[in-house]
Amino acid sequence: MTPLLEQFISEARDLLQGIGEKLLQLETSPGSPELMKELFRLVHTLKGGSGLFEFPEMTRVLHAGEDLLDTVRDGRVAYSESLADRLLETMDFVGLLMDEIEATGSSSAAHADYSAHLAKSLQQLMGDSGEVKSVESVPGPAKTAAISASLSLALSELPAALRMRLYRDVMAGSPLSWLEYTPEADCFFKGEDPLFLMLQIPETVWGGIASAQAMPPLAELDAYRCQLVFRALTAAEPAILHELFRYIPEQVGITAIPALVLAAPHDDNNGVPGSESDVDGFRAIVQSQREILSLPDNDAWLPGRLQSVAATLAACLRATGRKELLASLEKSLALALTEVKALPLQTWLDEFLPELPEKEKNSQTCREVPPLPRASGLRAALRTSECSSAGFTGQPLPETPDNTAPAYEEPSVSTASHPDVEIKFGRRAEDSYAVARTLKVDQGKIDRLMSLIGEMVVAKNSLPYLANRAEAQYGASELAREIKAQYAVVNRIAEEMQDAIMQIRMMPVSFIFQRFPRLVRDTSRKLGKEVNLVLAGEDTEADKNIIEALADPLIHIVRNSLDHGLEPPGQRRAAGKPAAGRLSICASQESDRVLIDIADDGKGIDPDIIKRKAYENGLIDEAMLERITDREAVNLVFAAGFSTAAVVSDLSGRGVGMDVVRSTVEKIGGIVTLDSEKGRGTRIRLSLPLSMAVSNVMIIVTNDKVFGVPMESVVETVRVSRSAIRSIQRRLTAVLRERIIPLLSLNDLLALNVPQRANEDGELAVMVVRVHDDLIGVIVDDFRETVDIILKPLTGILGGLPGYAGSALLGDGSVLMVLNFRELI
Amino acid sequence: MKRILIVDDAATVRLYHRKILESACFAVEEAVNGIEALEKTLRAPFDLYIVDVNMSKLDGYGLLKDLRSRGMPQAPAIMVSAEASAKDRIRAFIAGANLYLLKPVKPAQLLSHACLLLGEIYIGKVRP
Repeated sequence: MTPLLEQFISEARDLLQGIGEKLLQLETSPGSPELMKELFRLVHTLKGGSGLFEFPEMTRVLHAGEDLLDTVRDGRVAYSESLADRLLETMDFVGLLMDEIEATGSSSAAHADYSAHLAKSLQQLMGDSGEVKSVESVPGPAKTAAISASLSLALSELPAALRMRLYRDVMAGSPLSWLEYTPEADCFFKGEDPLFLMLQIPETVWGGIASAQAMPPLAELDAYRCQLVFRALTAAEPAILHELFRYIPEQVGITAIPALVLAAPHDDNNGVPGSESDVDGFRAIVQSQREILSLPDNDAWLPGRLQSVAATLAACLRATGRKELLASLEKSLALALTEVKALPLQTWLDEFLPELPEKEKNSQTCREVPPLPRASGLRAALRTSECSSAGFTGQPLPETPDNTAPAYEEPSVSTASHPDVEIKFGRRAEDSYAVARTLKVDQGKIDRLMSLIGEMVVAKNSLPYLANRAEAQYGASELAREIKAQYAVVNRIAEEMQDAIMQIRMMPVSFIFQRFPRLVRDTSRKLGKEVNLVLAGEDTEADKNIIEALADPLIHIVRNSLDHGLEPPGQRRAAGKPAAGRLSICASQESDRVLIDIADDGKGIDPDIIKRKAYENGLIDEAMLERITDREAVNLVFAAGFSTAAVVSDLSGRGVGMDVVRSTVEKIGGIVTLDSEKGRGTRIRLSLPLSMAVSNVMIIVTNDKVFGVPMESVVETVRVSRSAIRSIQRRLTAVLRERIIPLLSLNDLLALNVPQRANEDGELAVMVVRVHDDLIGVIVDDFRETVDIILKPLTGILGGLPGYAGSALLGDGSVLMVLNFRELI
Repeated sequence: MKRILIVDDAATVRLYHRKILESACFAVEEAVNGIEALEKTLRAPFDLYIVDVNMSKLDGYGLLKDLRSRGMPQAPAIMVSAEASAKDRIRAFIAGANLYLLKPVKPAQLLSHACLLLGEIYIGKVRP
């Protein structure tokens, strides 16, 4: 992929998103001219960009969309929801193409049908009021002659196979235009860039530049005056060409090329259409059919033979442009087949293609074959044409979009050689935008910075060790003091740097929120529900990885709310609620956590149904069924295995994949909580760390080995005397703050057959951790300090160890393994 | 794209015809005898057949008779032969050929005829 294409894709995605937003905003304020203008500008810019490449499907629909918006902007067509639907559909399609282009570097022609369908439906919305811009400008006869001369030269440049392909395309209804552009002499001073404009023409088959008049001697040549003629043969829609040159229509001649012009041969005498040999061929074929029809009618395969004769004659008629005879031929064939005789076809042949006396045959058939432009005539015109002389540098333009990129860079080169001339790259007023305040940077570069600063943090931590060694081993206390002072400086800079880099990685949650208006709109429509979506706190920021990991769970939760939570309007009215449901998604920051609340005022979750289902599924036993509180019950929807489709389909509450939501959120260090009140609504809260890059872990010791434990799972650390530990049902427990906490030995969890050590007072170190919603005490040998580390996930063979959240480097260079209690217990 | 089937037992002839027809952007397939041609036709019928006379298993006459006996859309067929006699020509027409050309067929002639039989204009010599 070329840098130009990359740039386009990145820009196009922004534009697409902007277009979607504007369309949705228009739903609430349909009359706003500012929104309309802005929307038009966005679509226009996107279309302009797509025109730089050969993505005809994309350009086609965008062009139709732009035309439609133009008529809406002018008030000729009223804005409507169906119009917005169609435009959104179009933008989805463009997004899809964009994905494909990003993945493969090109868009496949397989989308042509859908693209045409979309473009057509957009045009239909324009109705009669939108004038179709495909103005077939037919230049005067004098100009036609000149154009045909240069055109024939262009055609002779084309390989015959390409010409054949174009001929077929044109016969099939595709456009093919000959464009001749004579820029004004002082066009450079008007901000026009003829070459760039020409390069913007999509689907150029051939292009050439010639001098408009004979070049003056070098000494008299004014390099700042344009004296060139640009010519191109293009398969683009005439409307696109007119659009492209809409500011300088008087300098451009666009002629639609009839198919027959393509058929005109130029440089060979071997197979001139309409020539002796071709007419001979036509005659020979007709003569053969006459012979075949005069054969005896008694063969079993006569019907097939008659059909083949009719097919042969029909093909010849089509090839020579006499389609008006096809109907009568078909009638004769039908008659011949019912009578099982060749006679009706023979009669047809005698009537429409009569056999002529040998002498007149040629002239008669020649008259019947439509007259074709003859090579000699074109050549003669060419000789008299002024532009055929030296200076014509016709050359076929490359067809692949890849090759357009280097050509695109040419204008900047010419800027250098013409310092006085400000070339604006053909950009128009509505394309202009303020200088970008933001830089687009590849994610990989930021990630690299992140890992570098991680290494830096670790590396700087070795300085205190160095200082200690200087003092202890070499007795250089002065040096040790200086190292420590310097360490303080490096430490401060490194921390600030880390902070700055983290800031770069921060993204607003609006990155995910922005898709919800569309999602809610589409889903609620599909479900026949009315929903008011309230978004708040979109500016709240969190680390890129957190935001990205959040997208799927959030969509899941919102879908669930719409699907199972909010009731249809009728049901809501019966329950005394407003017909339109309310779904709010709020983000806020609370110290170092980001909170996201998704609340609806739907029917809530019925704890009784959940309990029953959970019991039926064997998730809870009878004793539990009695004991469980309603709040605990609704949280059962998070239990794995609860959410099978069969259970959910007749369930009033949520449940689809909530265990997946929970595990995804927990994977990034988040917590999900759910509150629901039957009949009143449900609220789900996601609490997430601001960033994942730096983790705060507590270092613990067991069996003389150190491990890390993420601080978010640590509730408290206590010393418990041996005597306070009791055994209930063969499990160790202790009473802490009036709660019974089950105790587990870390050595047991790690399969080390060693008893946990107590301190001198006979007390065991117990770390209380939260695993899902339960508190569990883990007995370790000793606690150490808490440290900030850059947690790296385990890779390779070690990646399969679920008991570890990852590893980190400590200041002294040793590796710290960080435990994952959720998996370990 | 229009599809042409070349039926000939001689690989060189097939290649010769194929090169000529492909230069005009037609889709060309080959069959070495009538049986194979029928098999290919039943899978997807062609827009034009170019059929040799003498072939093993099922010869050109047999193939054409079989094709014309089937209740399917009939496409034009060119029979190419080295025999110039009127008797052979009539025999080809009885079997179901629509055009009888003598081997070796000149490239321009083959292209011009093929184009006409496919309902297209032959637009000139193709550069090598």
